[in-house]
Amino acid sequence: MIRHVALALLAALTVLTTLLPARAHEASMAVMTLREVEPNRYVGHWTMPPADISAHPIFPEHCTWEMPQLDCGSRGLSGPLSFTGLGKNQSVATIRVVPREGDTQAYTVSVAKPVVTMAQNPGTNPAVWLDLAETYVNLGIDHILLGIDHLMFVLGLIWLVGRGWPLVRVITAFTIGHSLSLGAAAFGIVGIPERPLNAAIALSIVFVGVEIVKLQRGQIGLTARYPWTVAFGFGLLHGIGFATALTNLGIPQSTLPIALLFFNVGVEIGQLAFVAAVLALLWAHRQANALLPRWGAAMPAYVIGSIASFWFLGRL
Amino acid sequence: MNNGLRWATAAGMLLGMPGAAQAHLVDTRLGDFYGGALHPLTDLQQMLPWVALAALTALQRPERARWVVLCFPVSLLIGCVAALALPEPPFAQLLDVSLVAFTGLALAAAVALPLPALLGITALMGVLHGYENARAMAADTDQILFLSGVTLIGYAVLTLLIGAAAAFLRGKEGWRPIALRAGGSWVAAVGIMVLGLQLFSPGAN
Amino acid sequence: MKFAPSKASLQLALMLAAIPLAPAFAHTGTGVAGGLTSGFLHPLTGPDHLVAMIAVGLWGAQLGKPAIWVLPITFPLVMAIGGLIGLSGMELPLVEFIIAFSGLALGAMVALNVRPPLAISSALVALFAIFHGYAHGRELPEAADATAYAVGFVVATGMLHLVGILIGALITRPAGAGIVRACGAAIGCVGLYFMLAAAGVVG
Repeated sequence: MIRHVALALLAALTVLTTLLPARAHEASMAVMTLREVEPNRYVGHWTMPPADISAHPIFPEHCTWEMPQLDCGSRGLSGPLSFTGLGKNQSVATIRVVPREGDTQAYTVSVAKPVVTMAQNPGTNPAVWLDLAETYVNLGIDHILLGIDHLMFVLGLIWLVGRGWPLVRVITAFTIGHSLSLGAAAFGIVGIPERPLNAAIALSIVFVGVEIVKLQRGQIGLTARYPWTVAFGFGLLHGIGFATALTNLGIPQSTLPIALLFFNVGVEIGQLAFVAAVLALLWAHRQANALLPRWGAAMPAYVIGSIASFWFLGRL
Repeated sequence: MNNGLRWATAAGMLLGMPGAAQAHLVDTRLGDFYGGALHPLTDLQQMLPWVALAALTALQRPERARWVVLCFPVSLLIGCVAALALPEPPFAQLLDVSLVAFTGLALAAAVALPLPALLGITALMGVLHGYENARAMAADTDQILFLSGVTLIGYAVLTLLIGAAAAFLRGKEGWRPIALRAGGSWVAAVGIMVLGLQLFSPGAN
Repeated sequence: MKFAPSKASLQLALMLAAIPLAPAFAHTGTGVAGGLTSGFLHPLTGPDHLVAMIAVGLWGAQLGKPAIWVLPITFPLVMAIGGLIGLSGMELPLVEFIIAFSGLALGAMVALNVRPPLAISSALVALFAIFHGYAHGRELPEAADATAYAVGFVVATGMLHLVGILIGALITRPAGAGIVRACGAAIGCVGLYFMLAAAGVVG
């Protein structure tokens, strides 16, 4: 059983990363709204100004841009859009286009996807859909890889259920849970303010830590008895957390379902990569015969638990 | 399939290189933690001795590995922290390349090392590489994130390599240790030649 | 030093250059990918090097234990010594000629199934290893990234040995010994051609 085959150092080293999440979610975002005042002439303003004042969008070449006026002539607002100054302080910028007729469109430029193609009617242009896919899959991957609290919860789940089919089932249940609540939250069906939500996520990690210790003492905890149910329930909670990253981008309703789908795909890719890395490390520890001694077996669970408790208190 | 490990190593190195080109991209995209984690992976002068040390460890008695797994990240961290306070010693470059040659030779010869010697090499390499990775930080790099990335990747990669080498040696065929030792001989050859380059024409690289 | 690239080797070089690493060139400012590629291609694009290295593997496999164990471990080290000589600026005589001769000699050994004692076969291979390493070492200071270059050519050389050893593994099969000897003969011919070319007789 995996609980006897505990990782020697992983948990100890995660102490180092205690400070990660607070910084990870700081990535600031800029939003500009362009309103069409005459055919193909727009007036833009910052709905949310960029961190770096000098940052500005780069419109297709045939457009002339002089803040706040954009004139695209007869070709209209279509072509490549990028953004200066994307990087450390500014990871995402969104341009919302409000046409005189029809729905608002939004184009999100990120470090992961520095150029997007603007099109007047995204419904028929496959390049635009491809752009959307690339942007949001990458956003999803980035979000999960930078969200150490989610990763730590997944680590706890792996610890608790081991490998093989039980793990596949639990991870699947967690995935279904967070996909459902991500969707619900993104469409505004459910909503929890960010602070208590983050505190609850931290608490869920404390819970997993406690469950691991219980299991090691030979007690049958809740998770041991109903593994999927617990994973599904906490999945619902974490999914709402994912949604905050998405709703912050101000995606218009028309592109929301597809953005949601791709974002979720990205999250799953990142999560599977993490699970694969942890399983590979566990395998390597067994092969190298580098296992925790009996007296130290509970240590990682305590480390996970204390870090998460620390977050919980900090987020209250 | 004789020498499968060699193929895998070669393929891995070739595949790894285009990734190296994107190091700076990940750097800005995923933040300083992943920037730190990627940094050692893009440096052949670090990766080669890691591979050699892992294989050397796997060739020793099985209960040795756990101490290397523990010792390496701790020394990496010490080296990282030392870099924040101390200037670069003038012999760092030379020591770096010497370690490539030395670990490669030790693996090629399949020497049986006493535990203190094995841990001594591990600690020396850890401190030196931790130091060098930490030197790569820019002024606006988040030090805690970057250095924990370096430490964590050192732990993960070395553990994976030791595990893979141990699993590889589990087969009883005689060519398996030979294949590992041949790998060590390659690493040593690279180390010797780069060392020679530094001695004969300093400043060339 | 330069080797006259044949059409086939040029094509091979272009192919190898195009497939795995070309995208890396576009993005990288560091010379790691470039050094690795040029180092990797160096033994592969000189047909005289290429056949000689395959012959080394073939002969090792043909000689069987312990030669097949000694060879892959000692060859890179001896080659590194040759590389050091090249780096030091010392001049070795008749480099191109001896490299071509190594193909001829090793090919002939395999073709004729010559089985000298281990010490003699090792010494012969070591001598050639020094000259091959020397030729590579001379190029090292000009490489974009010396470590990457060295890794590239050492890996390529090892893989050529491996090709030889794998062909040599046929020897346990019926008729395999004949195929191995035929490969040796072919290599000997290539070596002879380059030797004559180095001497200015052909080409």
